[in-house]
Amino acid sequence: MSSPWTLMAAVCLQRLPVISAESNPIEQQFRDMMIQMELEKSMLSDHELRLLDDAERMRRMQAGEYDSDEEEDRRDQEIVLAQDLEDSWEQKLKNFQPAARVSDSDGDPGSLQRRLSDSLLLLVARPVGREKLWMLPQTEWQRGETLRQTAERALGSLPAASGFKATFLGNTPCGVYKYKLPRAARTESSVGTKVFFFKAVLSDAGAPPATESPESSLLWVTKSELQRYVKPAYLMKVERFLLGF
Amino acid sequence: MNAVFRKLQASATQQAFVLNHALTTCRATPSIQHPVWASVNERQYKSMPTHGIGRWRYLLPKDPPKKKRDRQQMKEIVVETETTYATLNVNVSGYDMTVVEHFSQHIHNLCNRLGINVLDCYALQTKTTEVWLMQEQGTKMSVDSFLKTHNRVVQLRSLNATMCPIFLEVLLKNQPEGVQLSVQEHTELDYKTRFKGRPELEGLKAKITN
Repeated sequence: MSSPWTLMAAVCLQRLPVISAESNPIEQQFRDMMIQMELEKSMLSDHELRLLDDAERMRRMQAGEYDSDEEEDRRDQEIVLAQDLEDSWEQKLKNFQPAARVSDSDGDPGSLQRRLSDSLLLLVARPVGREKLWMLPQTEWQRGETLRQTAERALGSLPAASGFKATFLGNTPCGVYKYKLPRAARTESSVGTKVFFFKAVLSDAGAPPATESPESSLLWVTKSELQRYVKPAYLMKVERFLLGF
Repeated sequence: MNAVFRKLQASATQQAFVLNHALTTCRATPSIQHPVWASVNERQYKSMPTHGIGRWRYLLPKDPPKKKRDRQQMKEIVVETETTYATLNVNVSGYDMTVVEHFSQHIHNLCNRLGINVLDCYALQTKTTEVWLMQEQGTKMSVDSFLKTHNRVVQLRSLNATMCPIFLEVLLKNQPEGVQLSVQEHTELDYKTRFKGRPELEGLKAKITN
């Protein structure tokens, strides 16, 4: 009745990019050209009309014509000239310092703030046989629960990931990986393991862990860096459902 | 075949002659009856035997007459089954209208390409938020600005459960800056909120009940 395969569910937790991706030189040039074209084709906005009006009025006042009559209509507008508003806005823009796109933590695979313009994947180290392998967090399926609940349990059971809030994207797995145990370890009831992968998106990382464990068991990697850490057979199956690069 | 046609022609001309004769004798009946052996909408002035050989439209079933436009009925909400979701609303909202509209168009095109059925694609009402800034300097002046929140909804019919994570991930990865994405199930309340309220009707109803 029970199959000889042990079932496990793993969670493919991704942190989506925080800032927009960098553009090629061609994309940059095209964007500049489109901005300039749109500016040249556009009509004057309210603010620009007001600027022109004020300039016109100043010119007329200095020329000495139409002093008292027109000024009565515009007495409340004289308090703030549009040019002054624009100057104050320019000042605020100069005072604003945006954060750097590329930070120092880009090289540290354990930090969540690295590579803000790429999407990162969570890896954990698990002892398999005699060695420790990097893989996606997984746990064994228990009778009576759905595979998605197993994946949620897998995420919750990570010690360092207790504060993580993830949104699972669906009830169906996106990939499967099966491996047979080496011939010596095979028995009647266990031939191997089948691992089902579920996709999730990180919504909140929570507070970072207070104590930094010496062996950092969590890694955040991009898809291109995945091949450095993960076994080739596993990589072949996992790469199939990862979008992007 | 030719003999048949000649006989028909002969009979046609004979009948026409007879009827003409009848017409000339009795002038009291001014109405001219068409020859009975032809259908009403057939013009028989062409004498070629093959006349009307290409006619086919009279063989088609008659379409029902075009109804006048009915009142807007709600499209049926699809029921959730074991492998598909119920009617889903993908709501795209943001301050920049061009970006929001382009993203909703992108979602629509993506659904067409992936084979996901799109039931409906509509816009909700634009909500305007007035922003008042209080200056910290001496003159407490409040500078206003108006922010308009635009909302576009793409309604999906019976999204497949296997398709769902792939579709959602593509949407999330392609989401532009300044745009919020939310996916919810469609309810009747969502449909009702699209309509304008009718205060006079409500006033009259209140009067009736009171």
